[in-house]
Amino acid sequence: MKLFQVRKGQFVYYKNELHRVYTVKPVYKKSVHLIRLRDLTQHLCSAAEVDRYQPKEGDSFIFNHNVFTLNKDRKAQEGDYILITNPDPDYLDHYSLNEIEVVDTVENKGVITNNSNGIRHHEYLLMVPGRSENSNPIEFRDVNHSEENNVNESVPTFDIFLPSIGDVYKKKDPNSSLESMVVAIKGDIIYLGGSIEISEEELLDSTKWEFLYNILDQ
Amino acid sequence: MENFKEKSVFIISLALTLIFILWGIFFTDNLAKVTNIIYTGSIDYLGWVYIGTTFFFVIFSVYLLFSKYGHIRLGKPTDKPDFNTASWLAMLFGAGMGIGIVYWGVAEPVTHYTKPPYGEGYTIDAANTAMTYTFFHWGLHPWAIYTVIGLALAFFQYNKRLPASISSVFYPILKDRINGPIGKTIDILSVFATVFGIATSLGLGALQVTAGMHTIFNAPDTLMVQIIVIIVATVIFLISVNTGLERGIQYLSNSAMIISFAILLLILILGPTLTIVKVFFNTTGLYLNNFIQMSLRLRPFGEGEWIAAWTLFYWAWWIAWAPFVGMFIARISRGRTVKEFVIGVLIVPTIGTCLWMSIFGGAALDLVVHNNNHDLATYISENVSLAIFTFFDQLPLSTFLSILGFALVAIYYITVADTATFVLGMLSEGGTLNPSNKIKMTWGVIQSAVAAVLLISGGLEVLQTASIAAALPFAFIMLVMSYSLLKGFNGELEIQRRKKRVKET
Repeated sequence: MKLFQVRKGQFVYYKNELHRVYTVKPVYKKSVHLIRLRDLTQHLCSAAEVDRYQPKEGDSFIFNHNVFTLNKDRKAQEGDYILITNPDPDYLDHYSLNEIEVVDTVENKGVITNNSNGIRHHEYLLMVPGRSENSNPIEFRDVNHSEENNVNESVPTFDIFLPSIGDVYKKKDPNSSLESMVVAIKGDIIYLGGSIEISEEELLDSTKWEFLYNILDQ
Repeated sequence: MENFKEKSVFIISLALTLIFILWGIFFTDNLAKVTNIIYTGSIDYLGWVYIGTTFFFVIFSVYLLFSKYGHIRLGKPTDKPDFNTASWLAMLFGAGMGIGIVYWGVAEPVTHYTKPPYGEGYTIDAANTAMTYTFFHWGLHPWAIYTVIGLALAFFQYNKRLPASISSVFYPILKDRINGPIGKTIDILSVFATVFGIATSLGLGALQVTAGMHTIFNAPDTLMVQIIVIIVATVIFLISVNTGLERGIQYLSNSAMIISFAILLLILILGPTLTIVKVFFNTTGLYLNNFIQMSLRLRPFGEGEWIAAWTLFYWAWWIAWAPFVGMFIARISRGRTVKEFVIGVLIVPTIGTCLWMSIFGGAALDLVVHNNNHDLATYISENVSLAIFTFFDQLPLSTFLSILGFALVAIYYITVADTATFVLGMLSEGGTLNPSNKIKMTWGVIQSAVAAVLLISGGLEVLQTASIAAALPFAFIMLVMSYSLLKGFNGELEIQRRKKRVKET
């Protein structure tokens, strides 16, 4: 019997993938309500089906189709994503454990997010885009396991992160605001609207291109 | 020098408050004398200022409700409200009224019944007048004050992206001078008003916690115990700031809402239910009918004692509270439109307070009017702090109610003290959302000290006088704020029109 108490905000593995608990509704059979960090979809399950994971510095994971590495060394800048791992909200703040927010202004003692929360520097880990070299990937509990176990079809593999027709990407370049859609795929070469031809590897590098949405999901 | 500039608001407002505290400790009699002079002065000279400005805020907020600015959204046009409407209303109701509504819920109607503003005491007419004036003091006027300041703070914070300080609101008039001496003066005055508004609440809280301990545990109801209550609360607060306990405060403030609601329902069921319903309807009618006359009531040819002791005190207290409540209301209202905001902050809470007052006041008046129990009425009006516990004694389940009531007052006391220091820290550090613990702790100690000094130098009356005096400059600030808000709204409409034109071409 598992006696682990699920709480709002915790990172958990469900069906081998990383989710965040966004609420616990005790009256329902499927009482644990999760959001899958990879693509921000909603999933319901019961407490017995999840295992907790506590994110720490050096972990990397996929949030909304982009890879981030948790980092403490770099100072937060405007526009950065942060993961609030040690929440200590003040009177006017509304945030809880493992919330992901975007930095609006940086002050001496902390940052202010664009949700008007004042968060001190010791309360969060910075989410640096891209997977750093020595990082510890945490989006799957067991990467090999997910590939071997083909019977369970609902467990997706990395395939899902490959670009597909209709994906809209944004170029990460402060000088230009280029958004473009994948119109054709020929092997490793991806054709984007506006006659852009780049390799798959380059498009998936989240320091250069950011996935926005798929036109079919809209 | 650079450092001083950054911290000037904190240092100057702290110095001003410290001077006041020292004055209270070493020249207690002198302080009592001066506050007394201010008190009488306020009747003769300042009364019309408070009456006029507060009435203006009511008209102004009703105007905003129907104005062309109604559709402006606080925040980006795509922002959605952070909270669902029910919890939004519950939160702002709790913030706006808090400890006062518990303290005065029974005491005010009964005191008015014994000593009405006009007519004879201890009569049926006096009971109706008492309820009407209670509605008046807790109805549209306080919420109009909060509407104006909350709306202004929210608009300049979210739409103009300025820091969360009072001086930001004056941007359309002062432009970049909000960071200069004028802006700093505004911030200092707002800190000063807030310290006294909160000290008044803490003073009332200490009076009531002591009264509660007297009823339940038979502890002595003396000044010494009141001071001990303040000291203990301060120590708890200092510990909570330095440890993770602060998170617990949020749970406490939620439980306060639940306890208030439980007490309200219990009294509605245990008390004279039908009378309460009748009181609510009857008084609402009287209130609406006499609204303008009451709003502007002064006594140019007679004694203004009653008006000063009640109406002026309340208006001043609400204004002194305004920066504190306004900050909170602004924070929880992002994503609402101006129209929604005014309905949510002006109309709904007014109905809420009127219901609360009908239940507490109606039940209490029923006790004293029906049995012609003049002694009880006199006792309550002479022991205001004990009022709510005296009232519980007359109901079934009295011990249970008293314990609930005591818990409620104690929780309100702690949450007000805790949240107030955060807002004071914010206001005195240029509107940052991350005030440092040192500054928060300083304000925690200071506000307790002010409350203690006020209690030592004369109890309730000095508390009332102090807020009347401290709120006066802020009343003028709020008048200018209304003008600034209109200017800001006009600018926003202009931007929207230009955007539309660009789209059309």
